Amino acid sequence: MKLSQDVLLGLFFVVFGVVSVSVAISYPFGTSGRMGPGYFPVIISSLLVLTGLLVLFRSQFVQPETLPAIRWKPLLLIPGAVVVFGLAVETLGLPLAILLLTTMTAATSIKFHLGWRAIAGSLAFAALCSVVFIELLGLPIPIVGSWLRVPGF
Amino acid sequence: MDIFNGLLLGFSTATTLSNFAYCFAGVLLGTAVGVLPGLGPIATISMLLPFTFGLPVDTALIMLAGIFYGSQYGGSTTAILMNLPGEASSVVTTLDGHQMAKQGKAGRALAAAAIGSFFAGTVGTLFIVIAAPLLASLALTFGPAEYFSLIMLGLITSMVLTSGSLLTAFGMALFGIILGMIGTDINTGAARYTFGSPYLLDGLDFVVVATGIFGLGDVLMNLENERLRVTGVAPVSSLFPTAEDWRRMSAPILRGTGIGVLLGVLPGAGVLLASFSAYALEKKISKHPEQFGKGAIEGVAAPEAANNAAAQTCFIPMLTLGLPGTATMALMIGALVVQGVQPGPEILSQQPALFWGLVVSMWLGNLMLLFLNLPLVGMWAKLISVPYHFLFPTICVFMAIGVYSINNSVFDVYMMALFGVLGYFFKRMGAEPAPLILAMILGPMAEEYLRRTLLISHGDASVFFTSPLSLGTLVVAALLLLSIVSPRFRKVREEGLQEVD
Repeated sequence: MKLSQDVLLGLFFVVFGVVSVSVAISYPFGTSGRMGPGYFPVIISSLLVLTGLLVLFRSQFVQPETLPAIRWKPLLLIPGAVVVFGLAVETLGLPLAILLLTTMTAATSIKFHLGWRAIAGSLAFAALCSVVFIELLGLPIPIVGSWLRVPGF
Repeated sequence: MDIFNGLLLGFSTATTLSNFAYCFAGVLLGTAVGVLPGLGPIATISMLLPFTFGLPVDTALIMLAGIFYGSQYGGSTTAILMNLPGEASSVVTTLDGHQMAKQGKAGRALAAAAIGSFFAGTVGTLFIVIAAPLLASLALTFGPAEYFSLIMLGLITSMVLTSGSLLTAFGMALFGIILGMIGTDINTGAARYTFGSPYLLDGLDFVVVATGIFGLGDVLMNLENERLRVTGVAPVSSLFPTAEDWRRMSAPILRGTGIGVLLGVLPGAGVLLASFSAYALEKKISKHPEQFGKGAIEGVAAPEAANNAAAQTCFIPMLTLGLPGTATMALMIGALVVQGVQPGPEILSQQPALFWGLVVSMWLGNLMLLFLNLPLVGMWAKLISVPYHFLFPTICVFMAIGVYSINNSVFDVYMMALFGVLGYFFKRMGAEPAPLILAMILGPMAEEYLRRTLLISHGDASVFFTSPLSLGTLVVAALLLLSIVSPRFRKVREEGLQEVD
């Protein structure tokens, strides 16, 4: 079986469906007239497994297109940067979290080079966002995170 | 409350200083973000969502609606000037719009789009005024069987009108339904698919999933071919349509509006279907069909009018039935729920100021767009040409802040990262995520209505076929499914949707 779009997608559907059925099977199924919490999930997940199998079956008859190469750097770094933002927003505060997020995401671009303009730009952007979202819109996000707060303030 | 009093109430709600100002801000921000290449309405709305938190409900809804049409308008500007459709329904605009731009008639194409959209928006709003109260009172008589059938129709329409194979779209919809079931089952209180995590008890936040798949997923997809991104923006010259233009575009605008108003109400992909049908109709009845695709102004005016009319009337099922017709409307419902409003037939009687204020501000928003867009077109053109490597870090920051501030939850931020990767995966596999998004909202509703129907009928499924309305809806859904098997329709669908992705 050669890897193609359909093979990967079919596998995804089948695996997700099987996991979902095996989880849902433990919920009370009930009857049609009195559906339990498991009724709908079991049916939908089984349909998903079936669909996945059909997609896999179909893939055998279609000439597979070659999958283009993946650029791993943005694919890993950008979701990673979002996770870092999540870790930092409450512990370090919004401005620092934005600074980390912009720097990490921008670094994935092929046009990125670290210079004073990039640093100044991201500093200004972090400051601007903090003012707009916290001061003007009043969103309850800490400016200074819990790790950096001096006790007594 | 009759229509006249309703409109009066609407005007008094929509013209308070703050509501008017936020409507303006919404339209302006929506256009500014919507013109950015590669950002469709879903990504735009989810990015700008935090601006509406902390506002009163009616103001927030008015601003959200403003963002929505702003992003639609912005999308057509990008489609015409750059040949980059921000969303599926502006694909047809690129066909003739960008050709006109290449011939130095960009200004006239933009004006045709703006005028067509404004006219269609006005008619669409009037249609909401008349049809929504009727439908809402009708909807109060709907039982769970009717609702279930309508939901099925919506899901099937969205699958049929998605690019790629029907089977893939079906799988995506099923996946979406499962995502929608995560959390506490409202009927039995059982926790489903939560894996013991307290964060999942309330379910996955819909806005988080949509932002991840459409917003972050698109960023990842765009960075894939960063080198290939074109940055040519056509210059804008005279904005005034000639007398010849007026003559050629008035009838197409009228026809496009008619098509859009009617198709927008359909559950499924009304907006998309409207712009494609309007274009196809104009090409068919034109005396010079050979000019289409080479810069015919009819080919810009008609689909833009249809697009905007449908964008207005697709609010009807959302507001009166609580059923979103498109993925964008599903996101609007998600945003309303964040505000604590559950759309449905009761919204008209219980929150008349909200409903009528929204309707009037829709029209005001369209008027603002007409006067805002044409003079500011130079500024939009500048925004379009901002290089992507400056844009996407900014986009990521806005999305991260937006998602975090929905529930002040870091968990949501991690979920967005996860769904961003999933969105990228789906796009790479040629699977369009629109059915997933719609199914995530409609799935739990379908379960609830199915459960209620069968509880009343003691497990007898024949009720779906004995109620005339439910039967009619299911027949339409079945016909749609059958039509895709017919080779002729298949060809049309493939031609129409092939460029959409």
